[in-house]
Amino acid sequence: MFEYKDFLIEVDKFSLNIGPSHPATHGVLRVLVKMDGEVILDAEPIIGYLHTSMEKCAEFKTYHQAETITDRMDYVSAVSNNLGYILAVEKLCGVKAPKRAEYVRVILAEFTRISSHLVWLATHAVDLGALTEFLYCFRERELILDIIEAVTGARMTPSFFRVGGLAMDIHKDFIDKTRSFIKIFPEKIVEYEALLTKNKIWLERTKNLGIISIEDAVSYAFTGPNLRGSGLQYDVRKANPYSSYEDFEFDIPIGDTGDVYDRYFVRIEEMRQSLKIIEQAVENIPEGEYLSYDEYPKYVIPPKRRALTTMEGMISLFKYGMEGIKPPKGEAYHSVENPRGELGFYLVSDGSAFPYRMRVRPPSFCNISALCKMTKGYLLADLVAIMGSVDILLGEVDR
Amino acid sequence: MDVLFALSVIKESMAKDIISVETSNGDIHIFTGRERIVAFAKFMRDDIRLQFDMLSDLFAVDYPKKADRIEVIYNFYSTKNNFTIFIKVKSKMDEPDYPSLTPLYESANWFEREVYDMFGLKFKGHPDLKRILNPDDWEGHPLLKDYPLKQRPPVEKINFDTPGYTVLNKTDQKP
Repeated sequence: MFEYKDFLIEVDKFSLNIGPSHPATHGVLRVLVKMDGEVILDAEPIIGYLHTSMEKCAEFKTYHQAETITDRMDYVSAVSNNLGYILAVEKLCGVKAPKRAEYVRVILAEFTRISSHLVWLATHAVDLGALTEFLYCFRERELILDIIEAVTGARMTPSFFRVGGLAMDIHKDFIDKTRSFIKIFPEKIVEYEALLTKNKIWLERTKNLGIISIEDAVSYAFTGPNLRGSGLQYDVRKANPYSSYEDFEFDIPIGDTGDVYDRYFVRIEEMRQSLKIIEQAVENIPEGEYLSYDEYPKYVIPPKRRALTTMEGMISLFKYGMEGIKPPKGEAYHSVENPRGELGFYLVSDGSAFPYRMRVRPPSFCNISALCKMTKGYLLADLVAIMGSVDILLGEVDR
Repeated sequence: MDVLFALSVIKESMAKDIISVETSNGDIHIFTGRERIVAFAKFMRDDIRLQFDMLSDLFAVDYPKKADRIEVIYNFYSTKNNFTIFIKVKSKMDEPDYPSLTPLYESANWFEREVYDMFGLKFKGHPDLKRILNPDDWEGHPLLKDYPLKQRPPVEKINFDTPGYTVLNKTDQKP
């Protein structure tokens, strides 16, 4: 016969497995948590469930084919990834895109930053029990995806940029659509904040939680809103401006304690700043070519109209498709400010049409590695809040 | 301040450890010896003029035709001064005592695990050196150039019951 004590389990110190399929992990993250009662002693993230070896795949693609791989890495903000990759290839070739293309790149990248932050806010709020926030955020995200679709032809994975410019010129509706979005969006941010920013429940669940100091954050190579939430004003757009970011005025919001609430606050404020950048870029978008084919005919695709009407344009388009571009031997590193942090591409070229090595410096990979540091000593229910506030994307962590 | 200033400080203080300095597309690459990398990183982190406080990236490149096959590249960044410098270390395939930077930089922990996973380089002094992206019992190191692109264990050999999907009966595979 069983006695009562046989049914009791040891609850002093035990391990709890969360994921890899768990709604709060937003993907296939697995966390092995060691607990003492309800207090977390150690949380070890186990990654690799979405590993597709994109760095290896890129070695077997031409420089422009490899761009499509970068879409799939961080699929919520694909344009930022394209931008980082294309800028790295341009650095390798010594190509500079025309001003018009750079402005369009900035507009699209900032649109994806807003849309990525909206997805983050929606899912983070759902994790903590605020379902309405989710519906609000996805409503506006749809508008952004419509605009991106109107320009690039794809909602999630555009691959719209080319070495030295864009695949095609912007559509005439684009500017009108963007202006109407700029008009309505500030009120929407107020709507999001009305639900959360001063909400007692939200404050209780996010304040003084998952604190990480500046020193620790830098040591863990945090970048992006997570680092700025801790109070360090580091943003690649300001530190090493790329793609005409020096033309625009914007502020870098920072937090002071580095808790979950600060990271929330920084992202909300970043959406406003992104909108400011989009507004300046759309109003000052220069006329002119969208590809710098005339300056760098060796590396840049001819515009479609030129390819269809002139002989040398047709020849170079054909060569471009059949052979691909061949950057000179060398190495180049270029990083951009992804919605999640500093996304860097290190390319090694051996003079052939295929990248010899493409290394991706993944921001989410570094950010999630500090999960143990951030969750130690907090309750299990707080793990969900902390994990959500870091804003990881497993497609990019595992690559 | 310019990154060339940082280079001059490093050249002045660590002259005997620098093998060569190259620039490629505006980036500065410093080659150093494998056994000197810890001292190098410590100097770069602690020197008041440099303050390279972030190990932004750590990865490797495989050159199978060269004698020192693996090139490990460290990307150091200084958040105070906005410097980026790449330190490169060449090594053979199975270096037994490759030093780990984990005591200096927390981010080195996962980066070194990734290099171990993808290239098979073992880091001495690493607290928990195991595979990170591939399953624990994966064979081979995928980012080496001689690892084929389309290789995977046959599906009928995969045991889905154990974690890591162990390949069963490796001996009775057909020749």
